[in-house]
Amino acid sequence: MRGWMSGREAEDNPVLTEAAALDVLAYLISAARTQLDEAAEYAPLRLITAARKLADHLAPRATAPVQALVSALDALPPTATPTADRAAYIARLDEICVALAECLLATR
Amino acid sequence: MTENAVYDAIRTRRVTRRMTTRPVDAKDLDLVVRAARYAPSAGNRRLQPVRVVTDARQLRRLRMVSPGMLPVPQAAIVVCIDRQRAAGYGFRPDAPGLYIDVGTAAATLLLAAHAVGLAACPVTSFSRTAAARLLGLDAPIVPQLIVCLGHADQDQPPAIGKWTSGRPDA
Repeated sequence: MRGWMSGREAEDNPVLTEAAALDVLAYLISAARTQLDEAAEYAPLRLITAARKLADHLAPRATAPVQALVSALDALPPTATPTADRAAYIARLDEICVALAECLLATR
Repeated sequence: MTENAVYDAIRTRRVTRRMTTRPVDAKDLDLVVRAARYAPSAGNRRLQPVRVVTDARQLRRLRMVSPGMLPVPQAAIVVCIDRQRAAGYGFRPDAPGLYIDVGTAAATLLLAAHAVGLAACPVTSFSRTAAARLLGLDAPIVPQLIVCLGHADQDQPPAIGKWTSGRPDA
């Protein structure tokens, strides 16, 4: 893992190719459509999957704070939904949100 | 438990959400595709044509417009509805029978895949319009379900709805 970067260095660190961005873009557009026919419990699942796709593309060249956020995201199974254990699901998403805040504090 | 092979196949089939990069043998794929013609079909009308996808670029693009496609498949069978032929029989576009037969085709394909040792994953969460355009399907042919095919990775995520603690080691 690379060393920590300053906020300015992170802002100047290009990490996403057009192909990678298109992958995420295609997913988001398609998910907006499919969600209209899907169970509501899939809504956070789809958003997290989109975030995971972005994270996967970012990870190889990301700064350490972003790497930590990616790791936090990876801890949630790709098939997790809120239905079976809503409280645990919310708790896990809150943990990821805290990791997000830590990432923002480290890069800004 | 039973010694009946058909029942055991039904009982042991699983949805595979993570696949390896091992290719699908053409003979196996052909056997699976041919099984679709034995699926129950209301009135034996056969209004659910299938499209086989093996081209890597086409598979990658199809996956990009399929939010529900968790595995990276080595092949895919797209079950469609032929709306023109359906209308010819007097079916309304939203007639449930058309979709029930998509389900029977999918169940048959999944069991056939299991029979030849292939892993499979059915996907209904995808953009029909984008998939049709990517596959070059004519307007009356509407894709409804994708059966992903490949070989199962040893490490599988939990089934949707089975996640309870969120702790991988729990």
